[in-house]
Amino acid sequence: MRSKAAITVHRSREEVARLWRDEAYRPEYIEEQDAAVSFKDAPGDRGTEIHVDLERSGGISGLAAKLTGGQPALAKVKDDLRRFKQRVETGEVPRSDGAPEGERFERKLKQRPAQPLSESELEKVGV
Amino acid sequence: MRRRKPVDATLHGVVDYNAGALLLTAFPRLAGIEGTRSAKQVRTAAAVHAGYSTLTDYPLGMVKLIPFKAHLAIDALGAAALAATPFVTGQFKQGTRQWLPHVGLALFELMSLAITDPTGRGDYHGDVEAVRRANREDPHRKIHDGSRAVAVST
Amino acid sequence: MRATVWSGRNTVQVENVPDPKILNDRDAIVRITSTAICGSDLHLYDGYIPTVKRGDILGHEFMGEVVETGRGVSNLQVGDRVVVPFPIACGNCWSCEHELYSVCENSNPNAGLAEKTFGHPTCGIFGYSHLTGGYAGGQAEYARVPFADVGPIKVEDDLTDEQVLFLSDIFPTGYMGAEFCDIGGGEVIAVFGAGPVGQFAIASAVLLGAERVIAIDGYDYRLQMALNKAGATDAINFNEDPDIVEQLKDLTGGRGPDAVIDAVGMEAAHGHGALHTVERVKQATRSESDRGHALRDAILACRPGGIVSVIGVYGGLIDKFPSGAFMNKGLTLKAGQCHVQRYTRPLYERIRKGEIDPSFVVTHRLELGMAPDGYETFKHKQDECVKVVLNP
Repeated sequence: MRSKAAITVHRSREEVARLWRDEAYRPEYIEEQDAAVSFKDAPGDRGTEIHVDLERSGGISGLAAKLTGGQPALAKVKDDLRRFKQRVETGEVPRSDGAPEGERFERKLKQRPAQPLSESELEKVGV
Repeated sequence: MRRRKPVDATLHGVVDYNAGALLLTAFPRLAGIEGTRSAKQVRTAAAVHAGYSTLTDYPLGMVKLIPFKAHLAIDALGAAALAATPFVTGQFKQGTRQWLPHVGLALFELMSLAITDPTGRGDYHGDVEAVRRANREDPHRKIHDGSRAVAVST
Repeated sequence: MRATVWSGRNTVQVENVPDPKILNDRDAIVRITSTAICGSDLHLYDGYIPTVKRGDILGHEFMGEVVETGRGVSNLQVGDRVVVPFPIACGNCWSCEHELYSVCENSNPNAGLAEKTFGHPTCGIFGYSHLTGGYAGGQAEYARVPFADVGPIKVEDDLTDEQVLFLSDIFPTGYMGAEFCDIGGGEVIAVFGAGPVGQFAIASAVLLGAERVIAIDGYDYRLQMALNKAGATDAINFNEDPDIVEQLKDLTGGRGPDAVIDAVGMEAAHGHGALHTVERVKQATRSESDRGHALRDAILACRPGGIVSVIGVYGGLIDKFPSGAFMNKGLTLKAGQCHVQRYTRPLYERIRKGEIDPSFVVTHRLELGMAPDGYETFKHKQDECVKVVLNP
């Protein structure tokens, strides 16, 4: 059962570390997991690697994740990493009609059809 | 996301006709029931099946009368009826050969229904005449008349 | 608004759906004036691409007029006439900065899904299943265009829609296919597939200086278009003689073409013999997703040391890849969904200069409501159909 996830963000290590703690960018799920997070310079002009290791997350949530196979936890960690990268690099979280909240593990199982949202759906999604 | 069922309406039709032909001809002999009641029952089932297939609204139907989903429902009922026949008539007591083919064929039918996609229209051909009339271009002219569309490289 | 939605295998319907709205600051809304049906749409239509949902709006080749922009879009004004590239690219990630727009790292909100299929996610695409993000497509009256400050190219009013529409996909795709061949002048290029993308690959090879361009297809009318319009110098109809590899050797003094472009992809039609039957059955039962005849023949036909350029769309896995031929002949394999944003400006310039008139591929122009029959005519290659353009 894999417990690690990584992503590379096209920004310097100082900026990535600073934004990781910034209110507007902080990845909530990863913080809740009490996981080991480290930042490394990526080779060349690629930016900064962010490594997340869930193995050391203890407590009830860690145990439950292990018992349920851990996959939802890792998928959600990856969601958080992708959303952080999207916000930092592009300034927004891309939304589609199938996934109007942006990258979310739960949406993978239940996509909207790829057509524009109705008024009520837009409200629900917060637009 | 759930995977699509692999058999579309066209493929289902192909099997309908091929299986029907086989059942009407060689199957009874191959199953060792030639000359018995079972042979007549299997042949009747095959003939009926082929019959309503020609009246089904799917690519291989001749008169597009019966909706494809209804055809699939009749398939299921027919399979059940065929499987039940030897037990209703009591002929199952005359040996395995007098009921096993019926049940076997019924199971085959139910399995094929389980993997048939009831939606879509199979491999059908649209209304080319309507497209021809509505087309604001002239395909033949576009292909054959006029000069090259690309300059030779400099 | 009206839109062409996927409704089951071999079924599209034009239905009423909500109008698109701005969801993010870098979005724009475009009122569509022309849109086209793509050969790759047929893979969706035929049911070979997984994760397509009933109600998905199809279409990734479209252009029109900007009617609304988000706060983050300053390069476009309401009223601008734009052509929209089919890959959705953020412009900010490492890949976009290196002009690899079709593998943008940020634009696919279903990256988790795509990762399982390909190992890594690739860009979002309009109207091309939920694997590429679940974005509504452009065979409709309006479309929401994300990252509108990166993709859309403004076009002048003196060119017709059909002269510029194909900057969205098929012209850059054919061009990239030809560019992959490293044409320096004097080469012989073979192009598998004389559909719209093949036509542009042929035309691009001519523009780039190839000495001979050989078109390969099963339909005479498409080969005629390649010879008459796209600048092909030779044509092979594999329905008359199925041995394409030998015919290519005949045409090249036994050497084989210097580079081969695969503009066919996963629904290759020209297989023959036992392997073809096996592949058709496997594909019909969805146990194998891709038919590999074009790719196989491309590798076998290409001269040793040559280049095989793959722009036909593949989705999954093929059996029987000629690894021995590929390795021992020292071939280079280049592939990709087109990085359209890299090519829109240079190719628009070529159109303006009169070097090419892309409207040559359009054989059918229909009102949007005719989309279902349009798809069928295009799929079955009836009425000498090469390319269908829809006007909402």
